[in-house]
Amino acid sequence: MNPQLIRDLIALLGPKAVLSSPEDLMLYEYDGSVELGSPKCVVFPSSAREVSEIVRLANRYEVPLLGRGAGTGLSGGAIARDGGMVVAFSRMNRILEIDAANMRAVVQPGVVNLDLSRAVDHLGLYFAPDPSSQKACTIGGNVSENSGGPHTLAYGVTTNHVTGLELVLPDGEIVRTGGKNLETSGYDLNGLFVGSEGTLALVTEITVRLTRKAEAVKTLLAVYDTIDDTTESVFEITVRAITPAACEMLDGFTLRAVEDYVHAGFPKDCAAVLLIEVEGLSEAVEAQAAAITEVCKLHRAREVRVARDDRERALLWKGRKEAFGALGRISPMYYVQDGVIPRTRLPETLRRIAEIAAKYELQIGNIFHAGDGNLHPLILFDERDRAQFDRVVAAGGEIMRHCVDVGGALTGEHGIGMEKNELMSLIFSPEDLALMARVRAAFNPEGRLNPGKVLPLGKGCGEIRIPHIPASAATPA
Amino acid sequence: MSHPAQISFARLEEIVGAPHVLTSPQDLDLRRVDGISPSVVAQPADAAQVAEVLRFARAEKRSVIPCGGCSKLGIGSPPSRYDIALDLSRLNRVMAYDPQDLTLGVEPGMRIEELLRVLAEQKQFLPMVVPFLERATIGGIVAANSSSPLRHAYGGIRDFCLGMEFVTGEGIQAKSGGRVVKNVTGYDLHKLLIGSLGTLGVITRVNFRTFPLLPAQRTFVAAFSAAAPAFEFCGAISRSPLSPQMVEIADPGAADVIFSSGGQSQTEPRKWAVLVSAAGLPEVVDRYARELGHMAAAANADELAPLGDSEGPDVLARIREFPRMILEAVPSAAIFRIGVLPAAMAGLLGELAAVAAAGGVDLISMTRASGIMYTAILPKEGEQAVVALLTKAVQEVFRACGKPEINASAMLEWCRPEVKSAAGGVWGPPRPDFGLMRRVKNSFDPNGVLSPGRFAGGI
Repeated sequence: MNPQLIRDLIALLGPKAVLSSPEDLMLYEYDGSVELGSPKCVVFPSSAREVSEIVRLANRYEVPLLGRGAGTGLSGGAIARDGGMVVAFSRMNRILEIDAANMRAVVQPGVVNLDLSRAVDHLGLYFAPDPSSQKACTIGGNVSENSGGPHTLAYGVTTNHVTGLELVLPDGEIVRTGGKNLETSGYDLNGLFVGSEGTLALVTEITVRLTRKAEAVKTLLAVYDTIDDTTESVFEITVRAITPAACEMLDGFTLRAVEDYVHAGFPKDCAAVLLIEVEGLSEAVEAQAAAITEVCKLHRAREVRVARDDRERALLWKGRKEAFGALGRISPMYYVQDGVIPRTRLPETLRRIAEIAAKYELQIGNIFHAGDGNLHPLILFDERDRAQFDRVVAAGGEIMRHCVDVGGALTGEHGIGMEKNELMSLIFSPEDLALMARVRAAFNPEGRLNPGKVLPLGKGCGEIRIPHIPASAATPA
Repeated sequence: MSHPAQISFARLEEIVGAPHVLTSPQDLDLRRVDGISPSVVAQPADAAQVAEVLRFARAEKRSVIPCGGCSKLGIGSPPSRYDIALDLSRLNRVMAYDPQDLTLGVEPGMRIEELLRVLAEQKQFLPMVVPFLERATIGGIVAANSSSPLRHAYGGIRDFCLGMEFVTGEGIQAKSGGRVVKNVTGYDLHKLLIGSLGTLGVITRVNFRTFPLLPAQRTFVAAFSAAAPAFEFCGAISRSPLSPQMVEIADPGAADVIFSSGGQSQTEPRKWAVLVSAAGLPEVVDRYARELGHMAAAANADELAPLGDSEGPDVLARIREFPRMILEAVPSAAIFRIGVLPAAMAGLLGELAAVAAAGGVDLISMTRASGIMYTAILPKEGEQAVVALLTKAVQEVFRACGKPEINASAMLEWCRPEVKSAAGGVWGPPRPDFGLMRRVKNSFDPNGVLSPGRFAGGI
């Protein structure tokens, strides 16, 4: 990196806000995915004004740059693919305003997701999107990736909870879209920017809707002896139009790993469980829980257990949210996918995944948002076994193609990033992609902001990118 | 702007078929926008024909305005050019409906009333309870981002629209999103088309998630002698665990509109009304009745009563059709749609009352408690200088919305073309993000073929 740029950055931000030594930069080479990429420097702005100045410097020195929150993303969105500069938002971590009367909060991008919910808990409010990494991930990252979580089944994903943004465009302009109001006239620019994976602008402030906590919550654990019975239950819950707040499935293999790690009370001898939560008025919750229990029993659940208290409920959710970490204990590496299918195709899809696992002699765990058809097949592998690794790539591709074939999507909440961008042509025509590229160019004409993400580069067309990297890389949150 | 040469109707006939190129005065009049008639109406049969018409228009430097039921063509600025009306009525099929998955793909020309009937057969619905229900088409509702009272529980169109197929101003068929309920694959371009008034693309298919009809439903009406207690009641609902389907606040003028078919005497003390709908299991609806009763009493409501089975559907229909009821009674009315925060609603209504008192006009407002207010300016009977009075009042409403303590986002949805120009436009004061909108427009329609001049910032 140009030493003069480093000097300019230090002059702008101070020496503590600029990292450029190799040992410091190593910490910013990875995120929650299996990707790697080395930035040439990392900067820590404290304000939108500083972000704007950083962007102008990047332009002057023709250096690529990208934003980064907590680095928990699962598709390489925060990886400096072309080197350049990482703009880390960890200093912009203040909650600027809590407006209880209007159920809004205004936050800086570095605010941790769960911290916002904690800050408004005493008001009976929370921030609804709840990614599994919510203890670490930032709201700026959630906005970039349009993050979901288990409870998005009932409450929607990040885009449904953002009303306003402050952005720094790739030319350094600071601009606001939307505001606190539910609606502002004109195009829905928030809808474009949320989920644009940091390729259109850097987000420097976010206005979000807060949600009223439900009066009553019931968490059910339904235990099954076959995968088919489990998926058929999910199917029937959807068909009967019972809308739980969350409906998560963990297969037996995953459960056993989780149980050994978290001791959540999952039965270790079953084929799968459903973790179902219903929320709302106490009358409705009772009735929904009864209806769900009936459906599960009808589909041969051997047990339907209701969490007795908040402690047991929290433990079950801990088991769910820390499941990825638990699998990290039993396998040197794993690769997690994020495909989505129409919910009616769940039973056949899980059978298909099992066939693919058998065909490629791989262990695939399934722990996912069953209620909205958002799969997370986790393919375990040992990095040192090159032949096995090739089978992982092939199996991942087959699962993804199945999702597309049944009318699904490549990613439900993790993003395209640099992992699935070469698969975009499975879903989108060249015309669709050209229009997306044109919209990107309208905001990011030089392609300097977060290059190599979302849209295909045309290299290795139609392939998932799973890099062959050392087994020491971190496991996703 | 007029072109010296005639549009080649023959070429249009080649594309859509001779019976589907219309030039009669009635056909052109029906599709008039702010007094401007198109030269021709083309009725394509599918997305490929839509694309061909647009490529033709682009090559011939003609402008195109898409239309369906023609119920909302008056929304937006007057077009700067208007040659071809692209009537999408023939694209009126349900393309995919998977009731078990609660997802739906539908063409833009389908009428919402008919679609709701199809869904009701499966005990499902879309929360698009919108004005002009029997005429409005899916494409028009989406392009105008029509507001539904059910927004309170289900969000706006952006919250349950899963994806779209559309044709850009260059005649390119494209899509974004998909048909699954959770999806972050690629940019959400379809969100840009919601509320774009046909300025970015011509919608050829919309995918939605559908919702189950709930077993029981009841609407409660609380009457109040003033605005303050009515908003106190709404605040109490918002802080409670209740999550109603709808909460609408009618000022006395709006209450007259929704509770009568017109001509009610004004001698009684005029009341504010808050209408709250509950839906779900019978025991849940009973719980609403109890709790709303307590909250209404605490807020000094004059009364709280459920709407009767006989009047209920009519009242709900009048809430849905509020802008239309006003326009049918007073064709010269100007109606704003205002995004406003709950805590600013009472303040804004106070500002509006001052505008009315000073301006020789009546103002009446229906407010969705979630944050959308419809405010109608009605010229008083016998006033001569109607345009001048309306213009002044429109400017005052924009000014009131712009006050820092109100900070509302207003758009003048319905008014006479003379007022649109005299008042300096319908979009309100320029905003900093208009420049970004221009970039979006240039990506979708660089030659300005689609609905030129109708959108914010002169787009």
